[in-house]
Amino acid sequence: MNKTIEILFPEFCNLYGDLSNMKYLQKCIPEANFIETSFNEEPIFVKGDVDLIYMGPMTEKMQEKVIRKLKPYKQRIEELIEKNVVFLITGNAIEIFGEYIENENGSRIEALGIFNIYAKRNMMKRHNSNFIGKYEDIEIVGFKSQFTQSYGNNEGNYFAKVEKGIGINPESLLEGLQKNNFIATYVIGPILILNPQFTKKILEKIGIKQQIAFEKDVQSAYDQRLKELKKI
Amino acid sequence: MKKNLKFFIVLYLSKLSRIALKLIGRDATYFPGKLAVTLCPDFLGRIDKPKTIIGVTGTNGKTTVCNMIEDCLKENGYEFIDNHLGSNINSGLASTLIEGASLLGKQKKDLAVFEIDERSAVKIYPYVTPTYLVCTNLFRDSLKRNAHTEFISNILTNNIPKETKLILNGDDLIVSNLATNNERVYFGIDRLETDSDKCENIVRDITVCPKCDTKLEYDFVRYNHVGRAYCPKCDFASPKINYEITNINFDKMKMTIKNEEKEENYDIINNNIINIYNMLATITVLKEIGLTRTQINPVLKKQKIVDTRYSKEKVKNIEIITQLSKGMNPIACSRAFDYVRKEEGNKAVFVLLDDLHEAANSSENIAWQYDTDYEFLNSESIKQILTAGARYLDTYVRLQMADIPKEKIIYQRDEMSLVEKLNLEGIDKVFILHDLYSIDLKNQIKKKVEEKVLKNN
Repeated sequence: MNKTIEILFPEFCNLYGDLSNMKYLQKCIPEANFIETSFNEEPIFVKGDVDLIYMGPMTEKMQEKVIRKLKPYKQRIEELIEKNVVFLITGNAIEIFGEYIENENGSRIEALGIFNIYAKRNMMKRHNSNFIGKYEDIEIVGFKSQFTQSYGNNEGNYFAKVEKGIGINPESLLEGLQKNNFIATYVIGPILILNPQFTKKILEKIGIKQQIAFEKDVQSAYDQRLKELKKI
Repeated sequence: MKKNLKFFIVLYLSKLSRIALKLIGRDATYFPGKLAVTLCPDFLGRIDKPKTIIGVTGTNGKTTVCNMIEDCLKENGYEFIDNHLGSNINSGLASTLIEGASLLGKQKKDLAVFEIDERSAVKIYPYVTPTYLVCTNLFRDSLKRNAHTEFISNILTNNIPKETKLILNGDDLIVSNLATNNERVYFGIDRLETDSDKCENIVRDITVCPKCDTKLEYDFVRYNHVGRAYCPKCDFASPKINYEITNINFDKMKMTIKNEEKEENYDIINNNIINIYNMLATITVLKEIGLTRTQINPVLKKQKIVDTRYSKEKVKNIEIITQLSKGMNPIACSRAFDYVRKEEGNKAVFVLLDDLHEAANSSENIAWQYDTDYEFLNSESIKQILTAGARYLDTYVRLQMADIPKEKIIYQRDEMSLVEKLNLEGIDKVFILHDLYSIDLKNQIKKKVEEKVLKNN
């Protein structure tokens, strides 16, 4: 099978337990090659082939460093998106791929500019909400907990249509970004543990069709959460 | 900030509300202050403050440290005001100051001990200047409120008044870097046998030098980012400790604290390292304000950790231990899990960490479980793990993620009938780990465990 999964900067991009997305994937496909790329290393996607690239939520200061780090590879990232390489980007890591991040004082941090969205920070107003959204035929469940909201046009490339909660901002019903196999979402959880059918879909995207780890148990937890979230 | 007419009107209204609430037998520790800061947002700045203010902040241990400071001060005849019955946010401090103030808004006592919520720094420090501010530690806490340690440490650094003398945990690299221009003393514990060269925890919030981004080298790691480290490229390093525990004798329950080449022995009341840090923080601030060992140690020696936080009881040949493990607080829960695994004997563990408020009104965000070291429960000496509550299915998945064998795990929705599944065969200790808001549940489970042990042959 020889699948290669690259986890970007796990020593920093590790907030809210979201690295467990990859720990779970490891339980699902233990035979795959999981590579953790440290911040001071060159990502392996730059020169080599990978099947999935993961990056999770990080602090605001770190966002700026990650943008600087990935800027030289913008073209390569766009090329990989065009080549249908799977990206899973969670939490505020989505903002790295937008146009810019705006601070409360109006100053801006230019981001990679791959997608036509931008983020606005409000550090004294943290947004927390529950989420249900439709991705293809799957109802995705999860949570949002963030200082930022994103704006701009994701009508043509959103990840999920909101059924409960908010999209990329409180006025939007479209959550996240998707282009080919690039998926970025503010939804945390960790999303793969909370959404067994979505995890299967991600595995299918990298060419694996099989049972997932503790499938019956993660499915039961999913069913219970979906029921609860629909009731609120 | 001057007292104006509005201030006096608000002060009298708040005092009247306090009297009214007391007359009808209601809690008066929150509303008067809430009323005051709502009607007069800079009320805290206008009301007189005691000459000396001891503030205690940090993620874990604030309440315990405040309680110990207050007991020592009381026993030694000091008169002071404190917010231990009220909240630790701006309205709680306002309530305490209102209660302590005369009708002219003057404070009747010269000393205050305030527990201060770290997230509330923005609303408190512009108006209240602690003379001493203890910071116990800074860890990931509720992600919904506190986000991450960088956010909290920035809030503190940007708001702590420059006149405040800081009393900081020098073993916590995030704490030791707070408000670096302020005068400070550090407390810490020298390397222990149980310390390690590598971090076993999922979460470690400072891995690179804050000055030059070089990967830090750790002399030793105690847990998470607590330990001693240095930057191999620049001058950044753990600070020189002013009050350092140089020896702990767990058999005799004694510790030695070194300050300016002078060593003093103190009693410890519990073998949990968290409690030792709390005692050390207390001793450091009390020494700084001039108390002596002979004034401090007899009081600390008598301390009992309140039953709502920790209790230990032997029923027949089995110890039943309850331990507060604040849900949504990954480090507090990880510390509790670590404590359980390191205790001697065969153990059964109840894991009851759901937030009851969330269970009743929402669907709890369980992301925190994945920052928590459930892996510590994967220990040969832990024979059974029993979990129940609204999130029992999620916890079951999390325990499997920690590679805990399914046959060791009992999981179900109903908490009360969980004890029926407890298997006491070969068990020396039963731990009941519970959330802050599950005290009643903890008590009921404990009672049922006691009954089961008594019936057990």
